[in-house]
Amino acid sequence: MSGGPPKGLPSTGPHSLLDMPHPLAGSSSEEAVGGDSTPSPDLLMARSFGDKDLILPNGGTPAGTSSPASSSSLLNRLQLDDDIDGETRDLFVTVDDPKKHVCTMETYITYRITTKSTRVEFDLPEYSVRRRYQDFDWLRNKLEESQPTHLIPPLPEKFVVKGVVDRFSEEFVETRRKALDKFLKRITDHPVLSFNEHFNVFLTAKDLNVYKKQGMALLTRVGESVKHVTGGYKLRSRPLEFAAVGDYLDTFALKLGTIDRIAQRIIKEEIEYLVELREYGPVYSTWSALEGGLAEPLEGVSACIGSCSTALEELTDDMTEDFLPVLREYILYSDSMKSVLKKRDQVQAEYEAKLEAVALRKEDRPKVPADVEKCQDRMECFNADLKADMERWQNNKRQDFRQLLMGMADKNIQYYEKCLMAWESIIPLLQEKQEAK
Amino acid sequence: MEQAPRDPERQLQPAPLEPLGHPDAGLQAAVGEEAEGARDEGSGEGTMTENNFWLKKIEISVSEAEKRTGRNAMNMQETYTAYLIETRFTRVTELVLRLHPVTFQGFLQVCVSTQNKIFLVYTEQADSRLKALNATFRVKNPDKRFTELKHYSDELQSVISHLLRVRARVADRLYGVYKVHGNYGRVFSEWSAIEKEMGDGLQSAGHHMDVYASSIDDILEDEEHYADQLKEYLFYAEALRAVCRKHELMQYDLEMAAQDLASKKQQCEELATGTVRTFSLKGMTTKLFGQETPEQREARIKVLEEQINEGEQQLKSKNLEGREFVKNAWADIERFKEQKNHDLKEALISYAVMQISMCKKGIQVWTNAKECFSKM
Repeated sequence: MSGGPPKGLPSTGPHSLLDMPHPLAGSSSEEAVGGDSTPSPDLLMARSFGDKDLILPNGGTPAGTSSPASSSSLLNRLQLDDDIDGETRDLFVTVDDPKKHVCTMETYITYRITTKSTRVEFDLPEYSVRRRYQDFDWLRNKLEESQPTHLIPPLPEKFVVKGVVDRFSEEFVETRRKALDKFLKRITDHPVLSFNEHFNVFLTAKDLNVYKKQGMALLTRVGESVKHVTGGYKLRSRPLEFAAVGDYLDTFALKLGTIDRIAQRIIKEEIEYLVELREYGPVYSTWSALEGGLAEPLEGVSACIGSCSTALEELTDDMTEDFLPVLREYILYSDSMKSVLKKRDQVQAEYEAKLEAVALRKEDRPKVPADVEKCQDRMECFNADLKADMERWQNNKRQDFRQLLMGMADKNIQYYEKCLMAWESIIPLLQEKQEAK
Repeated sequence: MEQAPRDPERQLQPAPLEPLGHPDAGLQAAVGEEAEGARDEGSGEGTMTENNFWLKKIEISVSEAEKRTGRNAMNMQETYTAYLIETRFTRVTELVLRLHPVTFQGFLQVCVSTQNKIFLVYTEQADSRLKALNATFRVKNPDKRFTELKHYSDELQSVISHLLRVRARVADRLYGVYKVHGNYGRVFSEWSAIEKEMGDGLQSAGHHMDVYASSIDDILEDEEHYADQLKEYLFYAEALRAVCRKHELMQYDLEMAAQDLASKKQQCEELATGTVRTFSLKGMTTKLFGQETPEQREARIKVLEEQINEGEQQLKSKNLEGREFVKNAWADIERFKEQKNHDLKEALISYAVMQISMCKKGIQVWTNAKECFSKM
């Protein structure tokens, strides 16, 4: 595997991880390739801290953009101190070319998913498959199922209010394509999730339906050990750090919701402003027809308002297409995070309950039974995974919002610059005439 | 200015004008001698003795037709048109037109301060009466220049009032766009409280959003000044219309006098020759009650001749007056036109400068905000 981690990288994973069957550890990858060249999850995790820079808020433009050489990611990398990858990226996935399929039963959109990888898990260096939203949904469920200790990135909302949103409109499809692209990129950048077999199948299988029907049979029994996470245990109190995360997420989602509403309201106000501007400009034209001596200046003002309208329309389009989807993604992200937190709580609750039962039974014996120990390992593993994911998420979030908000500022600056240019251009038109007199 | 009463002879000829006894005499009276001329407006202006002519004229203009829907006494829905009726003594505009030299602004201010608007709501019924009133004003030989000027002022008024309405809406929307950004200020600040590395950047960017939101107040205040400048042209258009109306009235008056004179001359001739060429009430009474005595006839001819004399004098002075009016009015109009072009260009420049400064402020604020975001 050419993209393997640097040799001397220390494992930063918690010790308990090594003692227990990790979702990945027991998987086929190790058996198939042999320990040496396959990165252990711990190493992957450590290495992957440099990957976060490649997550762009507005990524998803076709083909080339996923390349590490693209200018925006290059720029980001320069801002990161701890970046060590760059050379180590070995999996690139893009979603593009949406196509509409009309069948007798239903009409749906498929997207082309192109995968390029040097990883040994991929037989070919490049794959191209078509998937529809349902397939993404299947993948996400499988990921949640098989990697319960990890934060799975959100998919764009499935349900669309019929009649309100045209599911097959170019704008809707493009917005969804971007979100799906983002979803896959987030998984691709994840040191554990990107090695998930379901993900592999999703990226490479000619016919995904075969796998969907046969379920796990075709694959290894990944995540078997953490599957029975559900249980009636109730956690007495969340550890402080996770409680803080929970509180943080509540506020975060609330604030993002507010920002989303503000952004939408601004767009609405801007569109109404645009409607008025579109009426305002031509009035100067009408007026110019009446005034021989003022025709040129009045026409100039009219044209100027026209230019400003065009600039404003671009601004609202950009904000609608680029700004809102990122907010939505992060609102959904916080939901994903909350559900992982809940799962973690249950694992801890199960462990505490078992530990308590043991303590009641044998007060004198300090030795803890194996199943309780296993439970403890699982909890610690969960905590470690979750902490790593949260840290990654925090970093991504910071990058994404920095880019997003700078982008918003840039769009506004560009808008004002266009208007400024238009107004400055008519000043000589107004002055020359006067001096000539 | 020679073309005003271009052809006095032609205009003096009697013409089949619309009869005075038209059903709309009631409204017509408003422009005649017995109009409530000096009723409400004459207050302090009774000193204009030699120019009494102006005092008797009242200008009625109908503008801003608006469809309204309401319920009548039978509680049936009906749609009617409401008009804004503006009544003003033309002498007011006449007076200010004569203030030499008068700056355009000053002229308008006088106009505005002296105008007395009467708002009346007419139903459709009144509509026909108003239309008829317009018809009675149609003079036989209108001056093309004044017709064109009237047309121009009508269009100018409509375009400027449209412009003002839309500009006000544009300003409202712009206000909304800016003010909603103020919410970012609050939410960024609240959000910053839960963020470690992003906190400072968010907090200070929020401050810039507050600055952005409040910057609109000054911007719109400046814009209001521009709107005021435009508003003056509404009054300018109105003043132009008043001048046209005034001219129309004078021309109408002249034509009426000429007609009156012509009919008196004819009567006189008929009395002298004893022939009745046209059907008249006099002819009828003569037929019904017999011939009058030669003395009576002589006396009547004498009276008529006196009246004809008087009428000819009057016509002459009216012609003179008219010519004088056209000369002065046109000179004023030309001067105002020039002033207007100059002033409007100034207004447009300052409007553009205002927009430029707004753009620069916008760029500044967003650049500051970007700086904060980049540090997150």
